[in-house]
Amino acid sequence: QLSYSVFSVISRFLEEYATSTLNKMKVVDAYLLYILVTGALQFLYCLLVGTFPFNSVLSGFISCVGSFILAVCLRIQINPKNKGDFLSISPQRACADFLFAYTILHLVVINFVG
Amino acid sequence: MALLRLVSLVVLVLALGAHALTPSHHLTPSDLVRLQDVLSQPYTDLKAAYLSIVGQSKLGLSVAGSNEACDFIKSNLDPSSVESLFYAAEASQTIASCEIPVSNETRDLLHATVSEDSTMSQIHQAVSALSFLGLPLASQEVVSALKARISKEDNVLAITLALQTASHLSQQAELGEILEEIEDLAARLDDLGGVYLQFEEGLEVTALFVSAAYALSDHVGVEPPLKEDQVIQLLNSVFSKKSWDSLSEAFSVAGAAAALADNRFHKPVIVSAVGPATVSRSQPLLQLQVMDVLCQSLSSANVLVETATSAATKATILSQTPFTQRDGIFELNFMASQPASGYYQFSVAISGDSRLVGNHIELKVKVSTKVSINNMDLSVVDKDQSIGTKTTRVEYPNKAKSSFIADSHQNFAMSFQLVDESTGVELTPHQTFVRLHNQKTGQEVVFVAEPDSKNLYKFELDTAERKAEFDSISGTYALYLMVGDATLENPVLWNMADIVLKFPDEEAPSTIQSKNLYVPKPEIQHLFREPERRPPTVLSNTFTAMVLSPFLLLLLLWFKLGANVSNFSLSPSSILFHVGHAAMLGLMYVYWTQLNMFQTLKYLAIIGSLTFLAGNRMLAQKAVKRLERK
Repeated sequence: QLSYSVFSVISRFLEEYATSTLNKMKVVDAYLLYILVTGALQFLYCLLVGTFPFNSVLSGFISCVGSFILAVCLRIQINPKNKGDFLSISPQRACADFLFAYTILHLVVINFVG
Repeated sequence: MALLRLVSLVVLVLALGAHALTPSHHLTPSDLVRLQDVLSQPYTDLKAAYLSIVGQSKLGLSVAGSNEACDFIKSNLDPSSVESLFYAAEASQTIASCEIPVSNETRDLLHATVSEDSTMSQIHQAVSALSFLGLPLASQEVVSALKARISKEDNVLAITLALQTASHLSQQAELGEILEEIEDLAARLDDLGGVYLQFEEGLEVTALFVSAAYALSDHVGVEPPLKEDQVIQLLNSVFSKKSWDSLSEAFSVAGAAAALADNRFHKPVIVSAVGPATVSRSQPLLQLQVMDVLCQSLSSANVLVETATSAATKATILSQTPFTQRDGIFELNFMASQPASGYYQFSVAISGDSRLVGNHIELKVKVSTKVSINNMDLSVVDKDQSIGTKTTRVEYPNKAKSSFIADSHQNFAMSFQLVDESTGVELTPHQTFVRLHNQKTGQEVVFVAEPDSKNLYKFELDTAERKAEFDSISGTYALYLMVGDATLENPVLWNMADIVLKFPDEEAPSTIQSKNLYVPKPEIQHLFREPERRPPTVLSNTFTAMVLSPFLLLLLLWFKLGANVSNFSLSPSSILFHVGHAAMLGLMYVYWTQLNMFQTLKYLAIIGSLTFLAGNRMLAQKAVKRLERK
């Protein structure tokens, strides 16, 4: 019964997602998925091979984590359903903020990767 | 009146008892010869002639070739120059029967120079020239000119020249104020470590000050306000330099020496022992030389030993004993008091002239003696003392006829006494060593023999215990006794006997590795820090590919979602924005490979601001479009 309910929840979720999510959101979601997969792969490498160039491993992983977080913030901010919470921040502004934070993150990561 | 006498007597006694300074530097006869050589160098101009001739006369030497000197002076004289007249005047005065012709113009020139407007040096030269040429001087005028110049030229050399000038003036003139300058100048002297007293301007000025101060004091008849210690300190400074840079420096030292050797008030006395201050039976006399600063013996002095105490026992051996004089040397037969060998502290006082300065000296005298070794007994003692000991007596400097044998069950023992040869008193010299020398291997082991409470020396060699020092090498060792001390005239190295030592469990006798400290040491191989083990390249490349692959996934998804590429307006600002964004990402890559943070920030600032402006425009346009659409 449990597996059935989990499976049904998942399929229901996917259905809802495909229909009621905006295309814009889906674009961002695709990006989020990409980041997630990249991060997971990096973690796998770290587990398998060890942390030899420790700073490089760390900076790569943190770049994934940081990008993910920033993208999530962007998604929350530009979702029209959340417009009520973010009255003062227009989607354009959110985009600009995202890019700015993204640049700083990459600056730090590149500095750290050595 | 009686009270005053009593007080002065008490003060005198205290002053005599006080430990006064004695000269630490003085001109030895060889220094004087060197000074004479410097001063007697051939001269080429009038100033050098003056320094040479007058300098030598101060040392009490007569100038060689006085006729040539006189002619030289006359031919080099420039009657229109005050300086030239000064050199000629004083130099010719020291040479017997050398007269400089003086004209009226010369006299007028010299008189005219004596005024407030001339420099101190000019006034000094003019007055000295007038004085040496025997011409009349207006002393009061000179005094007022000097006083005016002193207040204008307030430096040490100028005031010294003023003192020197005043010594030529009439005694009726008011020289009191100028005399006070001596005290003021003395206050300007720098005390260096309580030993030296000199002006910061240097040795020459200090020496000139000494000459000038005593010249004026003698002329006026007033004792210079210099304490005894100050006089000695000035002496130390002036005579501390034994080679002189220039003729004028040598001249100033000669002048100071002459002033200190013979003036009315202070006469520093130099006391030195003839040879080392050592007495012994063969040389029982302690000989001292008592001289003045110019190494002339003070034959009229009385030399007295106030106390002579032993450094070891602090007992007073002599008290108030006079030295006898013989051929200018003061002698004392110290051995007559039968002193034990060692060091003695002598306190010597020189009297006979009320001017004497530095006439209490402390002297360390050594009494040496010869040592003789008595009752040297060598024996081999069995450890468990079952067999009786066999003692052999050896007389110095003979060697024992048979050699001794000691193995691990036996000890080798030695006892002896060290006595003073003449008095028979027991001695404990600093060095009493027993040396064993293996002739075959060249090995040498040294032990110390120690005296017991009755001053009997004992030494014991435990063969088993000491085998480490011998490296357990058995064999014949030559036995030596070494005795030495600073107060012994005859140090001893005596080969007493041969010992055959047998050590248990002897290793193969290795040749002695002489402790050669100066061979190259084994080379140290430097171990560089090994780089950490890296994962194999294949693995890294695989993972790089794996990590980059999700990007393709992203592009695929975006394409599938039909990302809004069509709405891509080709306005300049949006192009610029996208270009700028791409440039920033490119900059990140370049930063990773080449740049440092500062350069990156610089480029980032430029590109970033452009991108920002473009982006702003672009988004604003988008917003406008959206509103339009709505």
